[in-house]
Amino acid sequence: MHGWNGQIVRVNLSTGNVSKQPLDPGLARDYIGARGLGTKIMTDEVDPAVDALSPENKLIFAPGPLTGTYAPSGGRYNVVTKGALTGAIAAANSGGVWGAELKFAGYDALIVEGKAPKPVYLWIKDAAVEIRDATSVWGKTVPDTTDAIRAETDDDAKIACIGPAGENLVRFACIMNDLHRAAGRSGVGAVMGSKNLKAIAVVGTGAVTCADNAAFERAVMKAREKIQKHPVGGTGLRLYGTNVLTNILNQVGGYPTKNFQDGHFPTADKIGGESLAANQLQRPKGCYSCIISCGRVTKVTNKKFAGEGEGPEYETSWGFGGDCGIDDLDAITKANYLCNEYGLDTITMGGTIACAMELYERGVITREDTGGLALEWGNAEAMVEATRLTGTGEGFGKKLGLGSFRLAESYGMPELSMSVKKQEMPAYDARAIQGIGLNYATANCGAAHVRGYTISPEILGTPMKVDKDAIEGKAQLVITFQNLTAAIDASGGCLFTTFGIGADEYAEMMTGVTGTTYTPQDFMTCGDRIWNLERMFNLKAGLSAKDDCLPPRLLKEPIKTGASKGSVSRVPELLPEYYSLRGWDPKGVPTHDKLHALGLAV
Amino acid sequence: MKVLYFALLRDVTGKKEEEWREPEPTVGHLLHALVARYGHGFERWVLKDGELWNLVIILVNGRDVRQLQNLKTPLAPDDTVVIFPPVGGG
Repeated sequence: MHGWNGQIVRVNLSTGNVSKQPLDPGLARDYIGARGLGTKIMTDEVDPAVDALSPENKLIFAPGPLTGTYAPSGGRYNVVTKGALTGAIAAANSGGVWGAELKFAGYDALIVEGKAPKPVYLWIKDAAVEIRDATSVWGKTVPDTTDAIRAETDDDAKIACIGPAGENLVRFACIMNDLHRAAGRSGVGAVMGSKNLKAIAVVGTGAVTCADNAAFERAVMKAREKIQKHPVGGTGLRLYGTNVLTNILNQVGGYPTKNFQDGHFPTADKIGGESLAANQLQRPKGCYSCIISCGRVTKVTNKKFAGEGEGPEYETSWGFGGDCGIDDLDAITKANYLCNEYGLDTITMGGTIACAMELYERGVITREDTGGLALEWGNAEAMVEATRLTGTGEGFGKKLGLGSFRLAESYGMPELSMSVKKQEMPAYDARAIQGIGLNYATANCGAAHVRGYTISPEILGTPMKVDKDAIEGKAQLVITFQNLTAAIDASGGCLFTTFGIGADEYAEMMTGVTGTTYTPQDFMTCGDRIWNLERMFNLKAGLSAKDDCLPPRLLKEPIKTGASKGSVSRVPELLPEYYSLRGWDPKGVPTHDKLHALGLAV
Repeated sequence: MKVLYFALLRDVTGKKEEEWREPEPTVGHLLHALVARYGHGFERWVLKDGELWNLVIILVNGRDVRQLQNLKTPLAPDDTVVIFPPVGGG
């Protein structure tokens, strides 16, 4: 095989058995890799009803066929499992170089199953796969773990690991790789912690082979040129990072503020990308084979929040910023550093603190409950301390570690959790932008922007401008974006390349590297297939149409101030059309005909 | 009217915002006046062949002019005009 290595490695932590198996070429063609391949393996091997934190759940690390090639930004991998936060299928996507290294070591997927009797880590050097004792690094932060395991293995080893949050089964713990990149959402780090797996160290000395070098080179060069010529992919993201969105979303009135009590934050400019570039940015940084470099290497000199690291992205700046009523960028960046060190998803951490602040405002939780922490809107010190406590599992941090839904539910007010399928919504207010709300409601992993990023057409005007307030045409728009994103995730490509290229260019690159002919329609059909397979997993896990809903606040409480004042989400009007266009019945269940057409019928 | 600048346009204009006191009947008139003041460095981020660049984001009182009348969108003295060069993220 080309593009694919043709090999999967399986590690059973309960028995200590390591085995390898060939990758089925038909399965590779139909599910591509990464998110698609991982979901297929989960569906075939795991009962969707299992407890996410039980040994019966599996944890799959999978790069795609473009990962490790010189395709633009072709360095990504996915972690697929049943999410600890959501109870739904999780596919957390990360960049850096770790995914490419796993590919160089010779694998299209690493399946981790069972549970180790004591803390362990995996040491993979090409064909050699070893389970090693991790007792000495258990309890360590991500940077300390990375240093210690490199000292025990290889100075050049690429490390993916959990921090104390994953060990403590914080419901939204993430898996960090290359120190600063995160397979962030849905609690994949808690699943890793439940298996007593601290880290995976990889050294790969192989290379990804290509079916048609000339065709692949032509396709890659064309794609690179289109991305570089596009002002967003070629210039904007490198200069200001994703956080440049802060002011745009705020100006259009779609910047969720104080746990979505409003859609406009008067001092947002203080925490936007322009401010970050002027005050904290040391240099931009890219992942493997990246030509965009949206990453931010930053430094905070303010003694109160001093530190060095990477971030914040837009979502993080918003989660710790506007969502908590905070306009102190140094505090936000410090909280980001803490999340990277302890292994926490920044979006859910910010959303959970915002929820706790609203509970505090209402007097539902008190200073006694929080151990003295005054969780008032705008209290930057309290926000940073709440993040630290969650990372270490101390005091009120244990409650925050549940995520906003379980936190609010424990006080009898689950409606104050701004989440879908128990996963916190990101930084775009669905009342002001109708398409993204439908995407939040239907995303199989729970609320997420990186499943169908309709912000591109609804706000940014790329590849075409559509009216953010309209609902006409939005169901099809969301489906198209969701299917394309699923296929790109599966390929190992980066979503940000879509500021420049789409299915045409991906199909061409896929054909060149694998030798399997993909038309743009084939590529999109793979995305549709992956989406429906995820949906079937969720339905078998016990989720249903009732889980395709936004928090009641977004349907009933209009935005109070700013340019979108008076708006509410119209997702309930859109869902029947969405189900119908998806080929699902009115209860949101894929029809036999739909499944048959995608080759998913049993 | 008030004009707000973001991202690269802050470097080009050297300011975050300004009060524009000349009466400008439309967005097109305003943009050409701004190009006259700030030159090609401004023009290249907002206009292509004299037309509004499809990737520039211009809001009048929070509403995208691409949903209004593009360059022909009328302006009033108390309006707020927001101009973003092409940017993106996620």
